[in-house]
Amino acid sequence: MTDTATNTRPRRLPAALRRWNIAVGALILGIVVLAAILAPWIAPYDPFKMASGPRLTGPTAAHWFGTDELGRDLFSRVLLGARLSLGIGFAAVAVGLLFGVTFGMIIAFCPERVKALLLRIVDVVYSFPDTLLALALVAFMGPGVENATIAIAISLIPFYARVTYGLAAVERAKPYVEAAQIAQTAPARIMRIQVLPNILQSLIVIGSIGFSSAILSAAGLSFLGLGVQPPSPEWGSILASGRNYISRAPWILIFPGLAICLTVLSFNLIGDGIRDLTDPKSRRRRS
Amino acid sequence: MTGALISVRDLSIRYGGPDGRAAVDGVSFDVNPGEIVALVGESGSGKSSISLAVMSLLPNSAHVGGSILFEGRDLAACGRREMEDIRGNRIGMIFQEPMTCLNPVLSIARQMTEGLVRHRAMSRATARARALQALADVGIPEPERVMSSFPHELSGGMRQRVMIAAALTLEPSLLIADEPTTALDVTVQAQVLDLLVEIRNRTGDGVLLITHDIGVVAEVADRVVVMQGGHVVEHGPWEQVIRAPREAYTKALIGAHMSLEEALTDGGLHG
Amino acid sequence: MLFFVARRLLTAFVTILVVVILAGVLIHVVPGDPITAMLAQSGSADADDIARLTAQYGLDQPVWKQALFYVGNALRGDLGTTIRGGEPVAELLLDRLPNTIALAVAGLGTALVLGIPMGFIAAVNRGRAADFAVMLIAILGVSIPGFWMGLTFIQVFSLHLGWFPVAGTSARNIVLPALTLGVVHSALVARMTRSALVDILNEDYIRTARARGLREHQVLLVHAMRPAMISVVTVVGLVFAHLLGGQVITENVFSWNGIGRLAIQAMLQRDYPLVQGFIVIFATSIVLVTTSLDLLYGLLVPRVRRR
Repeated sequence: MTDTATNTRPRRLPAALRRWNIAVGALILGIVVLAAILAPWIAPYDPFKMASGPRLTGPTAAHWFGTDELGRDLFSRVLLGARLSLGIGFAAVAVGLLFGVTFGMIIAFCPERVKALLLRIVDVVYSFPDTLLALALVAFMGPGVENATIAIAISLIPFYARVTYGLAAVERAKPYVEAAQIAQTAPARIMRIQVLPNILQSLIVIGSIGFSSAILSAAGLSFLGLGVQPPSPEWGSILASGRNYISRAPWILIFPGLAICLTVLSFNLIGDGIRDLTDPKSRRRRS
Repeated sequence: MTGALISVRDLSIRYGGPDGRAAVDGVSFDVNPGEIVALVGESGSGKSSISLAVMSLLPNSAHVGGSILFEGRDLAACGRREMEDIRGNRIGMIFQEPMTCLNPVLSIARQMTEGLVRHRAMSRATARARALQALADVGIPEPERVMSSFPHELSGGMRQRVMIAAALTLEPSLLIADEPTTALDVTVQAQVLDLLVEIRNRTGDGVLLITHDIGVVAEVADRVVVMQGGHVVEHGPWEQVIRAPREAYTKALIGAHMSLEEALTDGGLHG
Repeated sequence: MLFFVARRLLTAFVTILVVVILAGVLIHVVPGDPITAMLAQSGSADADDIARLTAQYGLDQPVWKQALFYVGNALRGDLGTTIRGGEPVAELLLDRLPNTIALAVAGLGTALVLGIPMGFIAAVNRGRAADFAVMLIAILGVSIPGFWMGLTFIQVFSLHLGWFPVAGTSARNIVLPALTLGVVHSALVARMTRSALVDILNEDYIRTARARGLREHQVLLVHAMRPAMISVVTVVGLVFAHLLGGQVITENVFSWNGIGRLAIQAMLQRDYPLVQGFIVIFATSIVLVTTSLDLLYGLLVPRVRRR
């Protein structure tokens, strides 16, 4: 039963408006991906070249996003940054998913005692903020884009493992899996052929969540100086280098930041949208 | 104007807009003071919707047509605050699933006294005393212990009694009971039904009993309204509907309830 | 009841133990020789120093012995000494811990104060404009990098408007960093509150409460919010953990003198003992907080205690 106050409330929004997430998210993401792919060709200047223009000038026709403290064109840098961010995000999520989903599934099919123990371990690691996990790993591995990517991938594994376990455990209890087990099908085969396709949809949703998280972590790490190293124009890194000049040149703050924001937003919108579509609970209830 | 407590005329309920599916159409019946009127039908017959319509508890998407007069007043014309004053206070309602109908995180005491505090402006202490009395009235042993319990600590039958007691504390003139026994064991069902009859005898309230179980109807109803697919199929006093049903559907309902048919032919049932 | 508490505390202890062990051996993740790396940052690197430090950190011992060594010391309150100045790690961190806690609490408080009402408004107006607006704000909040929000706040409120000082650690200074943390996490809280409330508003007992003639605000605030808040408590732990993660960077942005800022400096300077100590203290804090919340939840929900 939905809320039952008398009919004096304003009407519901039209259905189309409520389905906007995926459309807008996909649009933004599309633009970002395009920018990332085409960056080397459409960037008006070399992102690393200093003194492409006068230092710390605001947005002009020649420099759409202005220039930074070394005279580099900000627009070109942000464009290339898209490549870096998406690249790191993609690599980290791919690796994280691979290991995380595998672990999660394996745990779901383990015998009781082992399962309880492994789950405990995963939960313990999962209770720590992933940004911090990545940070701690990078602290010991050393800074740099590869280490940062690995660290972020590892920080995503507990999340993926936990969620996969939850999904797989539900599936495991279902009759079709029981039937396969009775038929002596190897667990690995059951996992791969039967359970995986059924949880794919949910995995896509958490994949997008992981992406947002990965990009935020990457930006954060680079901002602190532990991720992508200058002069590479990862968005967080641009913000770090330009930090001291922000009052004079606010565009250095605005554009890279907006880039991070919009990219992460697009993943969140898409993830939300897919979840809304597939989650039976969010369908409108009727009595 | 009849002296009826509730007078439903030509009631229609549509979900999903004014042209939506009609869950209920053209339904009319009365409930008089001191009368137990049973609304009986299978699930989907619209009987629950009617009870919710009386209480104005249908979702916003439901369109209600026709009239519902309570003590002469048109309920459709009542604004939100008026309805809030009537609910619980003048019309009490108890529901089917005692498991889910009580708030799990509030104590029984809280849930029993809040109605009194709200409608009668009583102090918590006075309300508590009144609630204890009500619990005793419905035959609950150890009312004190029950008062300080939480819903999950009580059995289904107990919870249903608590709900009835809570409804009674406000002394409504009409009690709507929506499938009050469906989720209970058979032995407990009988107790709850006896309780309803006793209440009717004691207070002279009208009772609108919603049920799908024609056996229940046969036990306690004074008048019966048989529903199918949102329409009234047959209605009348117990004597007429149960003993000498005119409509095929009513006959089918009775026929499907085996022990009832036997009991009727044996002649061992009252009205 | 006692059993429940004992079990939770035991879990907490074991978790902390595991983390300490991990922190102890994390030093092996360093490519090459950690000692050389550490010393490279502080200047000197002669053979004596290397030998001394290697022995001090037990790096010439097998891994399990090192772990034992580290854990043993940790339990006694000794987390080693920093490379830079030879100061005791535990002292350095514990000195700054109150600052971090203060900011964390302020941030969490802000997140709750902003997020819960937002979630409430969204849930009660489900499907309508207010819901849409709140959820839009929420999804934006979750997408904004904390450090960017922090920098922006500094720009606008400190430099432009001059309302707050730019850096430092004091009562006046807490506003902006707390707001930064709070706004980002209020989005999370709002979404969770809304989700919990929407489910609750569909429950039968809400219908019962209405049938009792309670005024709508009573139904919402008492019958709906109470169970919703209990749901929210279960996730406050998660929110808090996430917040602490973001806090490390926020402390850096605002030069807030907490353990996060210290840790970042340590990481940049390859001061591994300090980083290890940070991990231990940080993890312990999170475990203590989540355990306390677990216990609180058990107290609030009578049913849970009986397990």
